[in-house]
Amino acid sequence: MNSLVVTIVLGTGLAFTAAFFGRSISSRLPGNQQGYEPVQPIAYSHRLHAGELQVGCLYCHFGAEKSRHAGIPPASVCMNCHQVIKASRGAIRAENEQAQRENRPARTVVSPELAKLHDAMTSHREARIDQKQPPEPLAWVAVHRLPDYVYFDHRPHVNAGVECRRCHGPVETMERVRQVEDLSMGWCVNCHREVNRTGVAGKAVEASIDCATCHY
Amino acid sequence: MAARHSNRTWENTPAETDEGIARREFLKAAGFTFLGAALTGCQRAPVEKAIPYLVKPEEIIPGRAYFYSSTCAGCNAGCGLLVKNRDGRPIKLEGNPDHPLSRGGLCAVGQASILGLYDSRRILQPLQEGKVATWDEVDRNIIEELEQIRRKGGAVRFLSDSISGLTTLATVEAFLGRFPNARHIVYDPLSCSAILDSYQQTNGARLLPRFRFDRAEVVVSLDADFLGTWISPVEYTAGYQEARRLEARPPRFSYHAQFESRMSLTGSKADERIRIAPQELGLVVTHLAALIAHYAQVPFPTERIESPAVPRQTLEKIAQKLWQAKSRSLVVCGSQDVATQVLCNFINHLLESYGATIDVGFPSNQRRGNDRELRSFLEELQEGKIAALFVSSVNPVYDLPEGDRLAVLLRQIPLVVSLDGKHSETTEVAHYVCPTPHYLESWGDQESVHGVVSIYQPCMQPLGNTRALVESVAAWMGMPKSAYDTLRENWEAKIFPRQAKESSFQAFWDHAVHDGFVELERTPALAVRPFASDSVHPILSARALGKDEYALVLYPKVGILDGRHADNPWLQELPDPVSKVAWDNYACLSPAAAAELRVEDGDVIRLESGLVRESTPTELPVVVQPGQHDRVVAIALGYGSKATERFARMGPRWLHAKATVGENGRVGVRAGPFLRLTEGGVEYWRSAVKVYRTEKHLALAFAQTQHSIEVPQHLATPGTERRPVIQQASLEAYLNDVSSGKQREEKEHEDLWPPDHVYSGRRWAMVIDLNACTGCSACVIACQVENNIPVVGKDEVRRRRVMHWIRIDRYYAGEDTTLEVAHQPMLCQHCENAPCETVCPVLATVHDSEGLNQQIYNRCVGTRYCANNCPYKVRRFNWFDYPHEDHLKNMVLNPDVTVRSRGVMEKCSFCVQRIQEAKIEAKRNGEPIRDGAIRTACQQSCPAGAVAFGDKNDPNSFVSQLLRSSRRYHVLEELNVRPSIGYLKLVRHQMEQEEGVRHG
Repeated sequence: MNSLVVTIVLGTGLAFTAAFFGRSISSRLPGNQQGYEPVQPIAYSHRLHAGELQVGCLYCHFGAEKSRHAGIPPASVCMNCHQVIKASRGAIRAENEQAQRENRPARTVVSPELAKLHDAMTSHREARIDQKQPPEPLAWVAVHRLPDYVYFDHRPHVNAGVECRRCHGPVETMERVRQVEDLSMGWCVNCHREVNRTGVAGKAVEASIDCATCHY
Repeated sequence: MAARHSNRTWENTPAETDEGIARREFLKAAGFTFLGAALTGCQRAPVEKAIPYLVKPEEIIPGRAYFYSSTCAGCNAGCGLLVKNRDGRPIKLEGNPDHPLSRGGLCAVGQASILGLYDSRRILQPLQEGKVATWDEVDRNIIEELEQIRRKGGAVRFLSDSISGLTTLATVEAFLGRFPNARHIVYDPLSCSAILDSYQQTNGARLLPRFRFDRAEVVVSLDADFLGTWISPVEYTAGYQEARRLEARPPRFSYHAQFESRMSLTGSKADERIRIAPQELGLVVTHLAALIAHYAQVPFPTERIESPAVPRQTLEKIAQKLWQAKSRSLVVCGSQDVATQVLCNFINHLLESYGATIDVGFPSNQRRGNDRELRSFLEELQEGKIAALFVSSVNPVYDLPEGDRLAVLLRQIPLVVSLDGKHSETTEVAHYVCPTPHYLESWGDQESVHGVVSIYQPCMQPLGNTRALVESVAAWMGMPKSAYDTLRENWEAKIFPRQAKESSFQAFWDHAVHDGFVELERTPALAVRPFASDSVHPILSARALGKDEYALVLYPKVGILDGRHADNPWLQELPDPVSKVAWDNYACLSPAAAAELRVEDGDVIRLESGLVRESTPTELPVVVQPGQHDRVVAIALGYGSKATERFARMGPRWLHAKATVGENGRVGVRAGPFLRLTEGGVEYWRSAVKVYRTEKHLALAFAQTQHSIEVPQHLATPGTERRPVIQQASLEAYLNDVSSGKQREEKEHEDLWPPDHVYSGRRWAMVIDLNACTGCSACVIACQVENNIPVVGKDEVRRRRVMHWIRIDRYYAGEDTTLEVAHQPMLCQHCENAPCETVCPVLATVHDSEGLNQQIYNRCVGTRYCANNCPYKVRRFNWFDYPHEDHLKNMVLNPDVTVRSRGVMEKCSFCVQRIQEAKIEAKRNGEPIRDGAIRTACQQSCPAGAVAFGDKNDPNSFVSQLLRSSRRYHVLEELNVRPSIGYLKLVRHQMEQEEGVRHG
């Protein structure tokens, strides 16, 4: 086998690989998901809910105070409001005007995004009657993820008064949630070191930098 | 290639001129490949979905653990459980500390029983002639056939083990009541039928009394392994331990004598152990009865009684001890001979144990089997008189002596219905299999001891299309009803009126389900008449064995028991607490017998018992078992069942891998054919067995290969005859001088390290009381469940690659007649000057600020230096990626502990996940961590309460108090590694004359 042939074959292979995967090459280390902004099954807007409407983070992510996971809210929590609010005011007004013009009673308008939520809840209710058909839940795409050997716990952070945005960034300005920080171990440890000096929200805290705080 | 390089100047470069791929080419290719891999590897991690509830149950917050009270159905003892649920599924079983019988402990079998829930080979659909059917079909056919049988007056038999659930019993009774000729036959694979029969004779009621070891100051056990496998080991261990507490004021320390043929777990804890052959047991009991009758001045015929093989003075000493502790003494007997049991009752009667250490008014329901009824059932079966047979939770084809013949007879019955959830020898011959759910999936109840009723509650959605026994039976009666409704109705009608505390049933029920049990008003169960001595007859002689003949003893092994959990890999890999062998059964021989036969560990012997039906000779490997009677061969029951065929591909697949199963494709050999069904019941021994040596050898999986605590004589210098690993003292010496038995003087050590690590906050420490530890191995399995410890298979155990984070070292000292056994749990000692930490090149094992020796998996590169440098040999290396492809089984994994991958070192973490949880919760609630709030998995499970854990820096914590105990010592203290685990010295009653020898 000629060495040149080998080089050419391998070189071509490398070129192909680069062409296919080149887009995803970045200067980040493997596992660093900074900037990750996946498309979600429902185009839910944190900007609207958390920013404009000022809904508190813990209203939906109620697990953060009591559990390791902040949790994605169950659809029933969405329905607390969206039982009534089914479309934007503009869409409802347009339907009302149209109905008036056509001299018919106005139809209920449901926005296409909220329809997905309502569908999930209806299918759930129907599924309850017919046990054999499992309900189809909403499968959100996880954004902030840590490797399996890291045990992050929301409880001590939230209860110590660490603001959500400190790790999750300005979520209230995001149309679609994006991972702002790199969530690397160095980033965690730096913050733990810092708050041991400065405290959190004016209170002294004890943020351990022992390995077994997160790794076990 | 060669031509091109030949005109270069560096001609002597060797690899370049060779055939094949040259070094440079290889490196070039490797470089390109690496770059390619790096390119593809720099992608995003795979997309992961987060699926929330649609409607969340109000009480559940994802990520938090919830505990439900239930009852363990691992055996018939009925210990209380707290089932730890995470995200809708049970992941761990803990003992319920409030339960009046088990008092917070849970044995190895109970701990492991959770794996049965996630067994992907369970029967999850009803079967008809071995094929999946629907419940409608199966029910229709069964009802039709039953109707015909009823019209013809055919015999219907319901075969089960001891059911103590009142609801189940009532339902079965109602069902059988519909047929003119129907009977419920109860037999226990580990039968205690003779005890019940003896009470029929002496007290007029067939019952199993409740033994109160907690009240006994002198315990004499005649071949009853009550700490290991006999009836209710967790309850008995807790009681036994309560009567042996040196820290109590005044100190309590019961005296325990054990007569036995093999070396049982209970025998290993005994203060006095007397080896007798099984055929001599009756004679020994007779002599004991005669002595006690003599003290009590009650006539007892002593003429014509042979003298026993036991020295008379030993018997006299034990009889005196019993008599001196009258009404505070207890004699238990594991014999299946009714006459022997009657004599045992007679002794207890003379000792006034009834009402004190033995409760007959509130008897136990843990064993209800009647072997005489079983015998008549088998006769009926033989004669072909049975028209329909229902089998529930027993496996007669495997359990009973003539199983193969039984299978043929069962096939001749027109209707055989199995109500079992697992494939077994019996489900194979059943026409219909109506699978029952795992006990963690269904409702039920159990009155294990009269007046204590425990509840089973479902802890998850059933995984299959299964149906509880009561539901199936109700469906066949044409009155389908859910198990929950049946249970509730039965409780309202029968249990609620038996109590006076609650006035509304709903409140009573809610409390019962919350607590997992109820204690009812103490109204005696049965009319028990006073002791009648007329049935007491002495046993005059023991059948002598011929030369070259042995007595064969069949015993249940801790974990495997009768084989009902033989499909559980955790229990199979659990080393036997005494022999330390995993994954096999074997023939135990005493060292003298082994020497006589010229066999060693692993040499295969052939057994011949003179059975007519012995078509294939039984061949088993030998394990030399010190402390066993010289004329006894002991073999464990529960092996060689069909259920173990699943382990054919157990363990990592690699070049030198050897199979976990034997030549028969199963784990171990079935000992069932050697059982005897006699007049009285199933006998677990037989005499006149011949043993022959073969040329074969089988590699056994020993988890421990060094057995003696004594240094071999030719190596021992004065003062080092005994390794200072376990320290012990006799009770008398200890009470005189608390420092007795101490083997090394504590002296100040020079330190290599400056004292710059101050533990200003908490400092975790553990204390293990060797007095309390029985070696039952509950902690081993508890740790395995809690910490996601993989199973490695027989061959890997043999290669000393077993992964258990906690092991129990068992050491022998002394000769056969004076053999002493000590059990010592060994786990990571979390040394202050940890030798493992200084040799790790990547700092994967370091100390934390609270004294924990941390092992960081993601940092470990697998040099194994740490394991080499560990003086306690507690570090475990992942030689392989142990399989996790069974997704159902993976549901048992603890989500709070990393599943380690290949090439990573691991070891005990002091259950750091529990420490973290407690710390976080304490912080959240703004409270300090309460002493005792953190319980490690081993500690939680220990039936004897031998483990304590807590903060050493808090002088008032329980663990600090124990660390200040005069019994405290550290293992290998002289190394100055400063372990965080303190051991409390083993103390036992010892015969005075040997005092000098035993602690030097």
